[in-house]
Amino acid sequence: MEHEIYRFPRERLDDLVERLEREYRVVAPVRKGDVHGWEEVRRGTPIALDYPTTMLPPRQWFAPPREVLFRFQRTAGRYRFEPPPPERPLALIGVHGCDLTGLRVMRSFHESSCRDRVVTDRLDQSFVVGLACWEPCLAETFCRDMGSLDNETPADLYLWDLGEVLLLKAIKPRGREVIADLGGLEAATADEQVALRRRLRGRHDAFPLHFKFQPSKLPVALEAAESDILWEASAERCLSCGRCNIVCPTCTCFDVQDVASLDGESGERVRVWHGCQIPGFARVAGGHDFRPTRTQQLRYRIFRKGKYMPERYGMVGCTGCGRCHKHCPTHISIRDIFRQVGGPA
Amino acid sequence: MAQASMIPEACTILEAHRETEKEVHFVLEAPRERPFQPEPGQFVMVSVPGIGEAPISLAGLPGEGAPEGAIELLIRKAGRLTTIVTRMVAGDTLYVRGPYGRRVDWDQFEGSNVMLIAGGLGLAPLRPFVRRALLRRDRFRHIDILVGARSPEDLLFRDDLAAWKARRDDVRTLVTVDAAADGWGGRIGVITTLFDHVHPDAEDAVAFICGPPVMYRHAIRKLLAMGFYENRVWLTLERRMKCGIGLCGNCQMNGHYLCQQGPLFSYREVRHMKEAV
Repeated sequence: MEHEIYRFPRERLDDLVERLEREYRVVAPVRKGDVHGWEEVRRGTPIALDYPTTMLPPRQWFAPPREVLFRFQRTAGRYRFEPPPPERPLALIGVHGCDLTGLRVMRSFHESSCRDRVVTDRLDQSFVVGLACWEPCLAETFCRDMGSLDNETPADLYLWDLGEVLLLKAIKPRGREVIADLGGLEAATADEQVALRRRLRGRHDAFPLHFKFQPSKLPVALEAAESDILWEASAERCLSCGRCNIVCPTCTCFDVQDVASLDGESGERVRVWHGCQIPGFARVAGGHDFRPTRTQQLRYRIFRKGKYMPERYGMVGCTGCGRCHKHCPTHISIRDIFRQVGGPA
Repeated sequence: MAQASMIPEACTILEAHRETEKEVHFVLEAPRERPFQPEPGQFVMVSVPGIGEAPISLAGLPGEGAPEGAIELLIRKAGRLTTIVTRMVAGDTLYVRGPYGRRVDWDQFEGSNVMLIAGGLGLAPLRPFVRRALLRRDRFRHIDILVGARSPEDLLFRDDLAAWKARRDDVRTLVTVDAAADGWGGRIGVITTLFDHVHPDAEDAVAFICGPPVMYRHAIRKLLAMGFYENRVWLTLERRMKCGIGLCGNCQMNGHYLCQQGPLFSYREVRHMKEAV
């Protein structure tokens, strides 16, 4: 049956982990003190399906904060280069709509670059289990406005946590295979399906809209918002800490650094996360900075998310997750800026 | 894995000529493992493993000034990597990948008057344009080369400048410096003062500009005042480039990744971009 919905006994999460571990490195939200993070899990690791949201989005697994591009070793006077070994593909369990959208944006960005398929390959080879949200994770969330709340792509399997019971459906053939491998799952009862539909119908009440415009209007709205005053209003309290870049599910920028052994004979070239809000990001050799002020830097970040990315890659570069606002030490709000720029009509 | 795309190739330095106190002109082997057929305006990523990597404009293309199978680079001592590289000599090894950047169709320029405007280090990326125009001299009309430097001591490619000046029948080469001690017999003044001495037929002219950031606005204004078409004023722009393959984001200008869509742009392509010039 197409999109058949199964009842998924909570205690069988471990079976799902075990099944996925055969092919994948399995990653899921895990409680860490007062917060939650995406951690590698095995059978028996407590997975926090009731997590509000993680500080870092799952992109850390697809484009890690620090990643070896290649190792180098000097032999007979010349350096030889060795790319990193192949790695196991990733499986993610419990990805919210905002982060599913973030994975889509990442893919649309990376597939535009024809010369390097590392991240695209990781995304394409990954197995993703989506998870529905019933209330905003953060006060700063605006996922419904950005179309992320109802997004189920690119999940292979999708979960609804109805409290007393979990419901599961396959979205892609790979998901159906995993359900078949798990075996013994019963179809959800008529009552459970009615309960699910009722929860979904009522869900939008928990996610009030913040915008009075369609996000597809953002590129045009921003085009007209180049002048400095709006950006100065927020940039004057920016600390240039770059946290907004670090926590963003659609940020992709990195720096390239060499790390050598003490004798210089060997080492590695690595890519490490960088961000447009961090001082020096646009500074060239000789010292000229092409985007020196915080006003320019903030405008650039918002333009990239709301204008450049949709124009170039076809998707707005903001998922509405609210992380950049939540973790900003001075509460600079992309939601407010979009709202102000988009206007009441 | 696809990350091989950022793995460089060992290239032996064939010649190293000190151009100024800060700049060294290298002739080195071109990469061989993959097809290497650069166009004027493109660049390579140059590195020393363990030290770092930097984007360097091609100052000479294989078989066009540089020997077949070789490239020329002009490297200014600016940071840790270039301090080490500018101490290197023939026989040393640099690690190179590329070429990167936009490839512009040259046929569109043929039949035109050509103006090249180079400020300081900007002569290095423009040198392949000059070389190609001179190699195909019969396909172009007037060629004007305007060169500016801070001082006579900062002038780059002096042998080239002398050779171009010697071809005064078919190339006009004008050189100016911002300031000079006594004994400099040439022009003194910023590069835009040279525009008073050239009068190309702007209807059929193309210009290429490369220089320090402050130069572009003034040079473009002069050219537009002379009647140049906006899409025949070409700029080679500089930005921070760390990957060369359109990923790392450091070189972005508005929505453009300069390492792929640039660094060569026509003024018409970037005139609406607040971050361009």
